[in-house]
Amino acid sequence: MRRVLGPVLFFSAIAAVWEFGVAWFDVPRYLLPPLSRVASAAWETRDEIVSNAVVTAGEVLGGFLLATFVGVGLGALIHASALARRTLYPLVTAFNGMPKIALAPLLVVWFGYGFTSKVVASFVFAAFPIVVATVGGLAATPFVLDEHFRALGATTWDTFWRLRLPAALPSITDGLRIGMPLAVIGATVGEFVGAERGLGYLILFATTQARIDLVFAGILAVTLLSVGFSWMVERASRAVWWRAYS
Amino acid sequence: MPPAPVIVVRGVTKSFASTTSARPRRSAAGAGPVQALADVTVTIGDHEFVSILGPSGCGKSTLIRIVAGLTGYDSGEVTVNGSPMVGPVPEVGVVFQTSNLLPWLTVQDNLMLGARLRRMSATETAARLAALLQSLGLGGFEQRYPHELSGGMRQRVALGQALALDPAVLLMDEPFAALDALTRDRLNVELLRLWQARRQTALLVTHSILEAVFLSDRVLVMSPRPGTIAHERVIDLPRPRDPEHTRRDPRFQEHVNELAKLMGVF
Repeated sequence: MRRVLGPVLFFSAIAAVWEFGVAWFDVPRYLLPPLSRVASAAWETRDEIVSNAVVTAGEVLGGFLLATFVGVGLGALIHASALARRTLYPLVTAFNGMPKIALAPLLVVWFGYGFTSKVVASFVFAAFPIVVATVGGLAATPFVLDEHFRALGATTWDTFWRLRLPAALPSITDGLRIGMPLAVIGATVGEFVGAERGLGYLILFATTQARIDLVFAGILAVTLLSVGFSWMVERASRAVWWRAYS
Repeated sequence: MPPAPVIVVRGVTKSFASTTSARPRRSAAGAGPVQALADVTVTIGDHEFVSILGPSGCGKSTLIRIVAGLTGYDSGEVTVNGSPMVGPVPEVGVVFQTSNLLPWLTVQDNLMLGARLRRMSATETAARLAALLQSLGLGGFEQRYPHELSGGMRQRVALGQALALDPAVLLMDEPFAALDALTRDRLNVELLRLWQARRQTALLVTHSILEAVFLSDRVLVMSPRPGTIAHERVIDLPRPRDPEHTRRDPRFQEHVNELAKLMGVF
């Protein structure tokens, strides 16, 4: 009970400041509607919000899974091959340095208006931290364990699967936690640039209609989606319990 | 007739390039290569237990890693059972200074790690596991994880990891250095018991004169860096040994005193 009390009070206070601050300072509704207005807009358009959220969730899931597999794979390759470290790693780093938002229109041109371009956008946003976390985690294998595996006659393959990867998992799960919200941002950006469905599309559409209450409802929905997905990654990463004992 | 040599180290030298590019250069003095071993010759016979004593940094650990095939050497010759060491082999078991257990594996899986990596059959390993758990006093701890064990228990598992492949040669690099004195004494007795049952050809690196005398047939004393074998002392205490009688033997104290003198303790 006490555990719940703090957060409930905290978020209620934020909601109250929003609700009454808007009235107190007489903020026009087309700039910032009161929270109650946002809530009722969300309730009235709940069917639309949910159906668009399902679309965005699918894109995020696709992009995040792709980023996980490609990110860990690229990280492993960069770790294993000196050539990849000198070629792929700088390329990936440079790619990450690009303003990825500027890439989004191109992705729509290349992959179309639908699901695929959003998955790719989501992937592009989420992959880099996963690559970096994988490379870092694999490189941080304790030397004594590495030597121990050599003494036991382990093959490179065995050393990777039985030692390096498990030892790198705490770091990799950190990368996944950073990547998850980025995957949500990527999908939303993709929908902003060109889409017919999804929460990003809903937000953009509401903006053009000057439905600021619905814009906020859409932003809250994206945020909830992101928090929900992050919570799932957080829960899943608890399977890597040996973090503290490595 | 002396026993047939199993471990032969002849005229081995080894230098390390001291500066790595990742480390900032501090002074010109530290820049050149460091000679760790200078002309080391050691011969260890079948079923013989030999210990190496020496000051910190004298290259004892380097020597054991060379014999284990974990690191190369500049010149000389190293053979185990007649074949030159070019890499780790299953008949040589190694116990390291710190217990190198995998935190995500249970005691049982840690013990069987070597067997799995060497692709040994499941039935064979299961039988050996049962015997190992028994003889190491680890019964009931099979499903525990390393972090749930005491330091002494962890070192027992590390010893078990090396013994799991039933090696003919056992190399130990200060295996009990991180333990408290009481646990260390206990594990010395355990090691003696396990060794007397199998009589592996054993090479132990240690800082403890008592440990070396208690366990060994022969004790080698290394010089400070660059390390070389400075003295050799045959420990003529009768076998089988046990803590009661061996430590009370007047020769035990004499060996300890003489080795302490050789090492410059007094």
